[in-house]
Amino acid sequence: MASQMPPPPPPQWVRDLTSPPPSKAKSGAFPDPPGYTSSNPQQVARSKSSKNAVSQPREPPSTYEMDTLKLKKAWELALAPAKQLPMNAIGMYMTGNSLQIFSIMMVFMLFKGPIQAVLNIQGTFARLETEGNKQNMLMVKAAFVGCNCLALALGIWKVNGMGLLPTTRSDWLAWETAREPLERAYFVPS
Amino acid sequence: MRLPLFAAVCILLRTAVAVFADEAWNVDYHYALLGEPQEETTFFHQPNPTSKASLIYTLSKRGFVGAVNPRDGSVVWRQLLSPNLTSSTSQGFLRAGEGQDTIVSGYGSQVAAWSAADGRLAWTVDMHGPLKDVEILELSDGKIGSGAKDVVALSGGGSPAVQRLDGASGAVKWQHKFQEGDEVYQLSASTTEVFAILLHKTVLGYIKIRVLSLDPVNGRKTSEYTLSSENELASADTIISVGANSASPIVAWTDAAHSVLKINIIGTKTVSSYNIEKQGGQTVENIRIHAPYHTTSLSHFLVHYQTATSHWADIYHINFARSITQIAYSLPNISGKGSFSTSTSDANVYFTRITQDELITVSSASHGVLGRWTIDNLGVVSAPHEAIVPTHTVSELSVKGDSVSAIRTAVLLSTGDWVLLRDSKPVWARPEALADITSATFATPSVLEDFQHKLDVETHSNFVGAYLHRVKRHLEELKHFPSYMSSMPQRFISGFLGTTDEGAMASDSFGFHKVIVCATGNGRLVALDAGSANRILWSRTAVDLGSSETWQPGLSSRADVIVLEQGSGKSQQTFNATNGDPLPGIPDTHDLQAGPRVQYTLRDGVLEATRTDKANAGSVWHFTPMDGERILHLVPRPSNDPVASIGKVLGDRRVLYKYLDSNLALLATANDASKSAQFYVLDTITGSILHSSAHSGVDLQAPISSILSENWFAYSYTAEASDASTKGHHLVVGEMFESLVPNDRGVLDAATNFSTVQSGTEPFTLVQTYQTPEAISKMAVTQTRQGITSRQLLAVLSDVEAIVGIPYSALDPRRPVDRAPTKDEQMEGLFQYAPVIEFDPKWFLNHQREVLGIENVLTSPALIESTSIVFAYGLDIFGTRLSPSFSFDILGKDFNKFQMLATVAALAVLTFVVAPLVMRKQVNTRWQFT
Repeated sequence: MASQMPPPPPPQWVRDLTSPPPSKAKSGAFPDPPGYTSSNPQQVARSKSSKNAVSQPREPPSTYEMDTLKLKKAWELALAPAKQLPMNAIGMYMTGNSLQIFSIMMVFMLFKGPIQAVLNIQGTFARLETEGNKQNMLMVKAAFVGCNCLALALGIWKVNGMGLLPTTRSDWLAWETAREPLERAYFVPS
Repeated sequence: MRLPLFAAVCILLRTAVAVFADEAWNVDYHYALLGEPQEETTFFHQPNPTSKASLIYTLSKRGFVGAVNPRDGSVVWRQLLSPNLTSSTSQGFLRAGEGQDTIVSGYGSQVAAWSAADGRLAWTVDMHGPLKDVEILELSDGKIGSGAKDVVALSGGGSPAVQRLDGASGAVKWQHKFQEGDEVYQLSASTTEVFAILLHKTVLGYIKIRVLSLDPVNGRKTSEYTLSSENELASADTIISVGANSASPIVAWTDAAHSVLKINIIGTKTVSSYNIEKQGGQTVENIRIHAPYHTTSLSHFLVHYQTATSHWADIYHINFARSITQIAYSLPNISGKGSFSTSTSDANVYFTRITQDELITVSSASHGVLGRWTIDNLGVVSAPHEAIVPTHTVSELSVKGDSVSAIRTAVLLSTGDWVLLRDSKPVWARPEALADITSATFATPSVLEDFQHKLDVETHSNFVGAYLHRVKRHLEELKHFPSYMSSMPQRFISGFLGTTDEGAMASDSFGFHKVIVCATGNGRLVALDAGSANRILWSRTAVDLGSSETWQPGLSSRADVIVLEQGSGKSQQTFNATNGDPLPGIPDTHDLQAGPRVQYTLRDGVLEATRTDKANAGSVWHFTPMDGERILHLVPRPSNDPVASIGKVLGDRRVLYKYLDSNLALLATANDASKSAQFYVLDTITGSILHSSAHSGVDLQAPISSILSENWFAYSYTAEASDASTKGHHLVVGEMFESLVPNDRGVLDAATNFSTVQSGTEPFTLVQTYQTPEAISKMAVTQTRQGITSRQLLAVLSDVEAIVGIPYSALDPRRPVDRAPTKDEQMEGLFQYAPVIEFDPKWFLNHQREVLGIENVLTSPALIESTSIVFAYGLDIFGTRLSPSFSFDILGKDFNKFQMLATVAALAVLTFVVAPLVMRKQVNTRWQFT
C-alpha cells in the first residue's frame, strides 16, 4: 500500500541543499581574479571567447616526473626531524637538568615524537611510494629512521644529564650485598 | 647551579629541625622523680607561716630534696644534693622549723637551707666531716618571731664537733669539739638544752650511751652522764630512736633479740625497762618509735612492733613530774604489715595506722577511734594476688569535735609507689621506684609478635598452604568484626579530630606501643608503655631483696620474652613482656647461624675471647692494656644494627664502600699517671686493632663516653688546659671505609663472605674532631627498622640536664676542611668543617623539660621506618619518638584532614551541580545558531 503511494516531494531545504542558487550573473566589467577558474562551463567558455587568450590545457606530468617529484618530497619529509634537532637541543639545554614537571614533559615529548614517527613510517610514505621509486624509498626511509634516532639520542643525552640512566656504580648499589662474616663474636658482660 | 644550592638548603633545613612544636609534650613523656622517700625525712609542712596549704617535703634515697604538691602529686621544686650518685649511700637529714619558711637539709658533709616555697638555696655550710645529725633549735628564750631559727649540726669523722649555725646566714655561732675516742651518734634539742649522744665502746665490746648536755647559747658543756645500758647494746643498730625536738626527748634501745625495750628521758638518769611479750609466738622483727616533732605538743609517743605476720603498737605517756614513762594504752594486734604516722594539731597528737585494707586514726590521749576508713584500691599496678604493704606514711589531718573530718596520707608502698590517700581514696601515685633503674630493655608486645609470626608462616610455606592459611586467618579475624564495626565511629571521629586514641596496644599499627621493662633497685620488674605516657603496664617482684641488698641484673628481650639474668651464677628467669607472667622455659641463648663463634668478656681489667663452637674450643686472644692503663668501657657494635646501603653515594654518583663488620668493638682505656686516654677499634674475632688513637692531657674525672654503630664510631672526652690549647670537651668521630677510592671494594672485591682470620682486611678510617660546648656523659644512636633513615647521635649532657640529638651529617668526618665544598660535595650534603659544634636549641629532645641524672639511653625501632623510639633512664625517666629524616611514611599532626575531606566534598557537590549545566550547553552548541 505504501509502495503505491508516490514519494512525497522533497522538502524545500533539501532542494536548497542539492541545488545551490545559481551564481549571480556577473557584469562583464569585472574579470575573474587571476588564476580563478570558474566551474561554470558557460563562464569558462565566455571568458575564453571574450579574452581570446590561448591557453593550452597543461600536459599531465609523466610517471617518471611524478616519481622524481614524489622522491623529492619524500626526502624532504625524511630530513625534517634532523632540521628540528638544533631547536630541540637548545630547548633541552635551556630547561636544565633538574627534575621538574616541564623538563620531564619535554623529555617525554622528545621520546614520544621519534618513536611514533618510526612506527608510522609506512603511513607517512605510503602516498609517495610508487612502483618506480620503491628502491629509492628504502634509502629515504633509512634516512628517516636515522634522523629520528638522532632525535632519540638527543633525548637519551638529556636523560643522562638528568641522572636517570643507570650508568654509575651507585645505581646498582642496591643489588650489592654486604659480605657475611664467617665468624660471629658475642660480648658477654661479666 | 640552582640544584646544588637547593639541595644544600634542604640538607641544612633537615639538620636544623629535630623537635616539632606540635610533637613536644605530645609524643614525649617525662617522670620528674624524686626517688623513694625516707621515713625520717618526709613530712607535711607549710611553705610559709601564713599559708594554709602545706606541701610534702622529702629527702629521698636518691639524694633529692624536694617538695610535692599533695593536691596532684606534681613536684613543686627539687634539688639534687649529691651530683655524684655513687655516694648516695650516706644518710640524709631534712628538718623544718615550726613556722619557718626555710627547710634545712644535711647530706654528706653539707648543711644547706632551702626556701620552702620555691627551693632556692638560702645558704650552705660544709662541716668537714660526715654529718651525724642536724636539728633546728626551738628555743624558748622569749624572742618570738625573731626570724630564722638556728640550726645545730653534729659531724663525725676525724674531728667530731657540734656547731650552731645562724638560721638566716649559716654563719657558725659556736662550735663544740669532742675528744676523740667515742663515736658521736646523734643530737637532740629540747627547748632549753642541746644534748649530744655519744657511744662509748667498753672493753667487753658493748656500747654505753653517753649523753652530753650543752648550753645552746655558748656551746659549753653543762653536764655529762653515762646511761647504764648494761650489756644489751652490742651495736648501734639496736638503738631505736633518739627523740629529737619534742617536749621531752627520749632515747630508746633494745637488745639484739628484741625482747626488752629500754627508754630513757634525756636529761634524767633513770632507765625504764619494758619486756616485749611475744604475740602469736612470733619474734619481733622490728621496733619503731613514732613521736611528735614539735616542742609544743604533748609528750606522747607510740612504739610499733612488727613481726613477720602481724603488728601492734603501745602508746606511752611521759610523766614530767616523776620523769618516768608509762603505757597509756595499746592498739590491737592486726595480721599483716602496717605503718604508723604521727600528726599534730595544736598540742594534740594523733596517730594514724594504715594496714593493707584499713586506715584508723586515734588520739594519743585515749584509745577511742576518731576515724576509720576502708581502703579498697590503692590505685597502683601490681602483680595479681600480690600483697601491697605500706612501708611508711606521713599524714595530715583536721579534727572537728570528736572525729577526723579530713585526712591526707602519703604512703610509700612496697611496690615502690608513693601514693596519696585523701581519706581512703587514692588521689595520685608516683612511681618513685623508677628513679633507681638498674637495667632496662625494649620488648615487643605479644599481639604484634603473634601477627608477625603468622605472616612469617605465610611467607615460608608453599603457595597453596599459604593461601589456605591466609583464608583461615581472615575467617578467624571475622570474630573481631562486630567489635571493630562498633568502634568504627569512635575511631573515625578521633582520627578526624586529630585526637588519637593512645593506649590501644592492639590497634597499634605503627609499632609505637613497645614495652619497656625496667629492673628497679628494689628487686622489681616494671613495664612501661613506650607509646603512651604515664602508663605502667605491669609490675611484679622479681627477687626479694633485704633492706641493704642490691642487685645488678641483666635484662634482655627476645621478641615478647623478657630474660632476666642475675647473680654470679647467671641464673635466668623469663617473663612474658605483655603481662609479666613468668614463663617456664629458658630460651636458647644464641639461635643464630652455625659456624665459628667467639665470646669475649671483660674480666679483671682484661678482655678475653674464647671460641665456643665445639670443634675447637679454647682461648683465642686477650687484650691486656699497657702498664698503668685501665679499661674504662667496651662498646660492641649492636647485634641488631641493620644497614640499608653498604656504600655512600658521592655527589658524582660514585660509591665509597663502608667497612661493615658486625664483630667490631670500641674499647676505651685510661692512664691515670700520664692523664691520657686511648681508644681502640677491635676486630673481636682476631683481636686485632683496626684503629687506635691516644689523647694526652685528658681530664679523667670528666665523663668519657663512646659509641659504635654501622661503620662509624664516636667518643668524647674533656681535654685539660695546656700551653697549646684551653680546656674543652672534644667529640671525635671516625668513619671506616673498605677503600678511600670510589667504586673500589678493596682486596676482597665482590666476595660474598669473609673471614678476618684469613684475609685480615683493614679499614681506611677518616677521623674528625669537634669541640662541644658541654661534656657528653653518655651516647646512643637512633635505630630504625631497616636503617634507611639517617641517624642521630643522642648525647646526654649531664651538666645542663638535657639530651641532644645530633644529626650525623653535622658530624660527618668527610666535611671539607678549610675550603668551601665543591659542587659534588654540596650535592652530597657536606658542608664546610667548623671545629665547634654549637648545639642547636632544636636538637634538644627534652626541649623545656629538665631531665636529671640520665645514666643510659636506649633506642628501638618502631614498625615504621622513619621512627625510632627513645627511652632514657637514671634518676628521671624520659621517653620520646624521633624521626631523624622527618616522618616520611606517616601523616603528621599538621595534616588537615578536615580540609582534605571538605575539598573532596566540595568537588563532588560542584560536579553534581555543574554536570547538567555543561550537558545543556553542549546540546545547545549543536543545535543553536547565533
